Amino acid sequence: MEISGADLITMARYLAAGLCMGIGAIGPAIGQGMAASHALDGMARQPEMENSLLRTMIVGQAITESTGIYSLVIAIILVFVAG
Amino acid sequence: MGIERLGEELIATLQVGPVEVSFDLPAVAVSLFVTALLVAVSLWLRRGLPREREGPLSRRAGFLAALLEISRSQLVAGFDEPLAKRILPLTTALFLYILLCNWMGILPIPYIVSPTQNLNVPMGMAIMVYVLAHYYALRTRGVRRHLRSYLEPNPILLPMNIVGDMGRTLSHGFRLFGNILGGAILIALAPALLARAAFLLPLAFPVGIGLDLFFGIFVGTIQALVFALLASAYINLAVSS
Repeated sequence: MEISGADLITMARYLAAGLCMGIGAIGPAIGQGMAASHALDGMARQPEMENSLLRTMIVGQAITESTGIYSLVIAIILVFVAG
Repeated sequence: MGIERLGEELIATLQVGPVEVSFDLPAVAVSLFVTALLVAVSLWLRRGLPREREGPLSRRAGFLAALLEISRSQLVAGFDEPLAKRILPLTTALFLYILLCNWMGILPIPYIVSPTQNLNVPMGMAIMVYVLAHYYALRTRGVRRHLRSYLEPNPILLPMNIVGDMGRTLSHGFRLFGNILGGAILIALAPALLARAAFLLPLAFPVGIGLDLFFGIFVGTIQALVFALLASAYINLAVSS
């Protein structure tokens, strides 16, 4: 089987999508974990603040997640749209 | 359920003068259905309100009051009273609409997908929030003070402020879109992958249900809450910064 230029481009697209998602997920994962751990600290110290801490934590995590979402969008474009 | 179906869409195109407008039919149909459902439920709830002001509280009125109280304490907590009153209907409507749209995605009916996994829907709502934030800011603070807020804390930061403004709206729309589309891709992908290995085949169905529940119900609820919360936070920031 001959490997043509188009095959190489397809391979590069999938490889790039995998790398993009894998590396791009590191940052948001660490950030979300830190937000959750500190929110848990706060809840353990002040259980009466639980509701507002939970809400703020979820919003903060959602904002932290945007960089991961950007890499997801790039990966989706690489796999489904480009080429 | 197939991976192939993810790229497949029912598109209708309409020629309006020189412009060709295309409609993603399932997304339009589902979002119209959700809108009709919300309007019908709202009208039904309103008909159950007591006639006179001091009358006994009916069950529907109690339900409405509880819903309003929850959204007031969750979405606009700590805002100035006039602003909270003005944007509470908007954010509550955004929350309920996105919530129902996200939940529609887990129905195992062909072609029925959540409208929120079409980029046009979340981005349209994000741009609407952006325009509304500037409108409210202009109305409450005047043109001069609103424009001057771009020069703070230092006039050198003007480009940063403008780019940050745009980027906030962009990420507001992309966040909902990416979460829902990513969930939908995983829901379609994981059972198909499990079904390829014979000894994993029995796992495919429970895993599919579990992913459906997690990404459809849980992530859908969280993302709807986040979108509505951020919408009210952005408007509040523009008005009172």
